[in-house]
Amino acid sequence: MRIKENMKLADVIQMNYMLIPVIHRFGINLGFGDKTVTDICQENEVDLNFFLQLVNAYHDQDYFPKEELQTIPVKDIVAYLKMTHASYLNTTLSEIEQKIFSLASEDTEDKKYIELIRNFFEGYKTELTAHIMNEEDVVFPYVLAVDEIIKTQKFSDKNQQIFDSFSIEKYEEGHDDVEEKLMDLRTIMIKYLTPPANVTLYHSIIQDLFRLEEDLNYHSRIEDKVLIPKIILMEKSITNLF
Amino acid sequence: MPRISILIAENSCLIRKGLRSVLQKLENTEVVQTIDNKEELCEIVNKIKPDILIANPNMLQVNCEDFKQAFANGNKLRLVLISKTSDADSEHKADAHITYTDTQNQILDTLQDVASGIRKNKIDDKSNDTLSSREKNILKHIALGLTNKEIADQLFISIHTVVTHRKNITQKLSIKSVSGLTVYAILHNIISMDEVK
Repeated sequence: MRIKENMKLADVIQMNYMLIPVIHRFGINLGFGDKTVTDICQENEVDLNFFLQLVNAYHDQDYFPKEELQTIPVKDIVAYLKMTHASYLNTTLSEIEQKIFSLASEDTEDKKYIELIRNFFEGYKTELTAHIMNEEDVVFPYVLAVDEIIKTQKFSDKNQQIFDSFSIEKYEEGHDDVEEKLMDLRTIMIKYLTPPANVTLYHSIIQDLFRLEEDLNYHSRIEDKVLIPKIILMEKSITNLF
Repeated sequence: MPRISILIAENSCLIRKGLRSVLQKLENTEVVQTIDNKEELCEIVNKIKPDILIANPNMLQVNCEDFKQAFANGNKLRLVLISKTSDADSEHKADAHITYTDTQNQILDTLQDVASGIRKNKIDDKSNDTLSSREKNILKHIALGLTNKEIADQLFISIHTVVTHRKNITQKLSIKSVSGLTVYAILHNIISMDEVK
């Protein structure tokens, strides 16, 4: 079902709870009573069109309205992706880390196995952080530079330099491998480890890993389906312009 | 068990969505993508290399050599045609047919048969999911952090053989990353924790 501007946001969330972190990244808090999507976007100064495209893209994996998505300003997309990154780094990852840590600090015989899981997760965290940092330090500045070149129709020295040093193709190439480790971790926890005494916590970690994976998939979908095609088009028109 | 990937190529949105929703009931399979544009078909088939292609015959009139190759290679890609009647096809050698009047269970049965055919092939390749002693040995070397070349040199086998073993190990364990494989190796006493690093 398509999410529309006149729907109550409460109904939208009831329909798909995975959208809770998404709206949170827009600064929208729960407890919105009967307010519609339009009301809430106005209150929080969120661009309605962007909000709708984004939640729909999250909600339905077949949803890909090319024309509408092309209208969303690049800087809004980048700002949103940055908020998502921050929430991974500051919240999600540390929460899971904390849980694994509590698991390890409990008194069990399997301590050294939990330690393995902990090291593994640390390794994953480092990798994901590096991936995110690369996006923030290299990809996003590039994307914003391309956007500015299109807008101003000219190259500043700085933008020229950024434009020559990178292309979105390079980014596309390395984009799939981050999730590999995450999938391995849950496979190991499900298939190969005997759960420790505190199974509740152990299960909750596995569920967190699934949710993180799902959320990361949503996130990459915005990057792969919205941002990259947009930049590819812009790159082409820049090459044609100059 | 490896998941079977399915690609749906059909220009009617109703059928595409309907089929996807029906196929959700099929275990260990995944509809990886649906497409409505036959121009893209060739490229996407080559990119995602699905196990099964479910297609409307009119989506298959593409001019693409690689695409025909995928069918010619026999056991690679299974073709299931969507059509009015199951005997309408002579041009494309389909592995199975689903028709517009099929019930949900008939569709699921048809696909289940195709999927288990693929699975049988895959299992024949590798008798079971436990590692052979050769594979355990290779896994040990991977966990020790050796590159393919180093493993090949130490065991006096070709790099190509190492790569094949690695592929089989990954498929059997469904673990891809080196650090994941290392954890597995430690858990199964293939190497000790002190040996790592």
